[in-house]
Amino acid sequence: MPIDLISIGQSGARAARASIEVSAQNIANASNPDYVRRSLQLEEFVGSAVIDFSTSDALSGVRIGGIVRPDNQLLQSRARDSSADVQRADSDIAALRDAEIAIEQSGLFRGLVDFEAALTLLESDPTDPALRTGAVETARQLAVTFQSAQTGLNDARALAQSSVAVGTEQANAAATELARVNRELVNVRPGSASHANLLDARDAALRDISEEFSLEVEFDEIGAATVRLVTTPAPGGEVGPVLVDGPNTNTVTSTIAADGTASFTLDGLTFTPVSGAQAGRVSALNDLRDRADTLDTIALSTITRANTAQANGAALDGTPGQPLFSGSNASDIELALTDGDQLALAPLGSPPGSRDTTNLQTLVAAIGADDGPIAETDRMLLSLSSRIAGLETTREGLSIIAGSAAAELLTETGVDLDEEAATLIRLQQAFEANSRVIQVANDIFDTILGLN
Amino acid sequence: MSFVSNSTGAFFERSLNQLATLREDAETFQTQIATGVRIQRGSEDPVAASRLRSLTRLEVRGQTEEENAARLRQDLEETNNQISGVVSLIQRARELAIQAANDTQGESGRAAIADELEQLSDELFTRSNAISITGAPLFSGTAGAPAFTRATDGTVTYAGNSQVGTVPVAPGTDIERGITGDALFEFDVGGTPTSSFEVFSQLAADLRGASSDPQQAAQDALAGLDEALNAANRNQTIVGTRAAWVEAIEDDQAVRSLDIAEKRSEIGDTNIADVIIRLQNTLTALEASQTTFTRVSNLTLFNAI
Repeated sequence: MPIDLISIGQSGARAARASIEVSAQNIANASNPDYVRRSLQLEEFVGSAVIDFSTSDALSGVRIGGIVRPDNQLLQSRARDSSADVQRADSDIAALRDAEIAIEQSGLFRGLVDFEAALTLLESDPTDPALRTGAVETARQLAVTFQSAQTGLNDARALAQSSVAVGTEQANAAATELARVNRELVNVRPGSASHANLLDARDAALRDISEEFSLEVEFDEIGAATVRLVTTPAPGGEVGPVLVDGPNTNTVTSTIAADGTASFTLDGLTFTPVSGAQAGRVSALNDLRDRADTLDTIALSTITRANTAQANGAALDGTPGQPLFSGSNASDIELALTDGDQLALAPLGSPPGSRDTTNLQTLVAAIGADDGPIAETDRMLLSLSSRIAGLETTREGLSIIAGSAAAELLTETGVDLDEEAATLIRLQQAFEANSRVIQVANDIFDTILGLN
Repeated sequence: MSFVSNSTGAFFERSLNQLATLREDAETFQTQIATGVRIQRGSEDPVAASRLRSLTRLEVRGQTEEENAARLRQDLEETNNQISGVVSLIQRARELAIQAANDTQGESGRAAIADELEQLSDELFTRSNAISITGAPLFSGTAGAPAFTRATDGTVTYAGNSQVGTVPVAPGTDIERGITGDALFEFDVGGTPTSSFEVFSQLAADLRGASSDPQQAAQDALAGLDEALNAANRNQTIVGTRAAWVEAIEDDQAVRSLDIAEKRSEIGDTNIADVIIRLQNTLTALEASQTTFTRVSNLTLFNAI
């Protein structure tokens, strides 16, 4: 019997030491975001035999089971989905904000207002060469402002487009990693430390993919993941095309169309993602294309209104007015006049040096009209900044949801140092108690040997 | 949110986020104080940003209109000066006509009067072609040419037109730029259209012997000179009234620009007192959070082992 006692004590001490090792591992990984808290599963070990129809038990201590890793798929997927939504809003806002800064900082609105003011000033003295030169220079400045607004907008779009490419590469890399994990999972025994380690790598890869694209995942009995992206349009009966299936991956490719918008292809299907940072970029790029078109429309409206007025008027020397601007959009608008005298302020057919401002008044009214470029620019800025403000409100709500989902997940999977400290003390005591058992067995044995 | 177990990573993450939010708030307030502007980007308050834009436009418009009004006032003052000159010329001519009508004047006396009248006529012609400070003719209407031209035979004709053109000086208010030469110098005497120049030169010619009865001719010229004086006086009144109008508008403009500036400030400027108190509030919260964070993060069981 004392032999049994020794082995019971030994198994207990071994189990306590193994548990301390797991705790130490938890503490060491307390700040590793991909690490999920482990614990050691222990089982009672009883040897039993049947002799003469009566059972006889031999208590044999404790047996170390497998490493347990909490694997709450519901919480994981909630945390993934809500974080993908935040990523979508974030990347959308980031791109739109770049565009807002580009258009606001270019001073387009101010440029148009200054142009209107320079023209209005001319009404006081239409033949004053200083005022005429001033008006032409303001027009030149306006053309440059249009170009710099469009350049800024294009920079914002280029930035979002390169983010699309980078995001796609990251998602593909994570998918490759996930396929590798799936392949390895077949080779390891469930309950082993390497199994838990592979599951950590699997969840990290899933998180990386879902930051870019929203996804749906299914797990088999060994924990290998099959990943489908959630897309519009989706193949019949499914949420979207397959990205990872066991050890196999399909590669996502991103395409930037001629109009600057982005689309993706996976497994032969061209799609737009439903959520994740890429969805935000797609929506921002669509929005920015519309803004660029609006900017072109405003530039064209300015060109047309100015040139129409010029065509209906006479320059200072009495000749018919020449176009004020050349070009047809915000990128190629240029001042076409070379001299303030060429401004056609008087109606067509007026004699040289006429101080008639009828045509000028028409131009000022056209620039300042309710559907004129000044009002259109204000409307464009208002709609862009309102959209950003709206998205920011949405993002705040989504952040709260994502924050609480992440906190719940961490409660389940994160390492709590206080808990680990308490466990350490408990296990230390267990170890000491087990060594005490061995000592007691030894004492008993010695007592028996001492009998005479 | 209640936690059964509190993951250490989650605690640090949360504390970090809270501190970062407070810092960000403090920085926003700091920027608002430093720049004096409440709205840095349109998306912070889209409607206010749009209102600020329309106020900017009003402000620029107001400045333009102020400049327009100032120029218009200068032009009107210059016109007024010139008309005053014209009035004294006509008055002098009238005095001369009365002298000439007096039968005590001999032939040489009348010749001297005719000489002076011709001088006056020259000056009148110069004044009729007066230009503004920026070099534009004052009495030619919207035509750019000199207002009056003189043919070799001395006949003076009006080369301008009868449109004066207007200058916008306030929203919806366009004031006429001046008066035209035909209104100032041309009139009817007894149903016959004539001009100040014609009256002057006719009288001078009559006094030099074109008329058999120079005294009667001088007497007759008085009616024309009276009409010329009337026309000049009438137009001086018009110009004076217009100048007064412009001055009244300039006062309005000053009030309006103050008004716009006030609205701008109300919408777009930082309310310093308010923001400083908020900043203080945020800083206090930030400091308190930092202190409690270090305290709480030190509270670990490992200290007890």
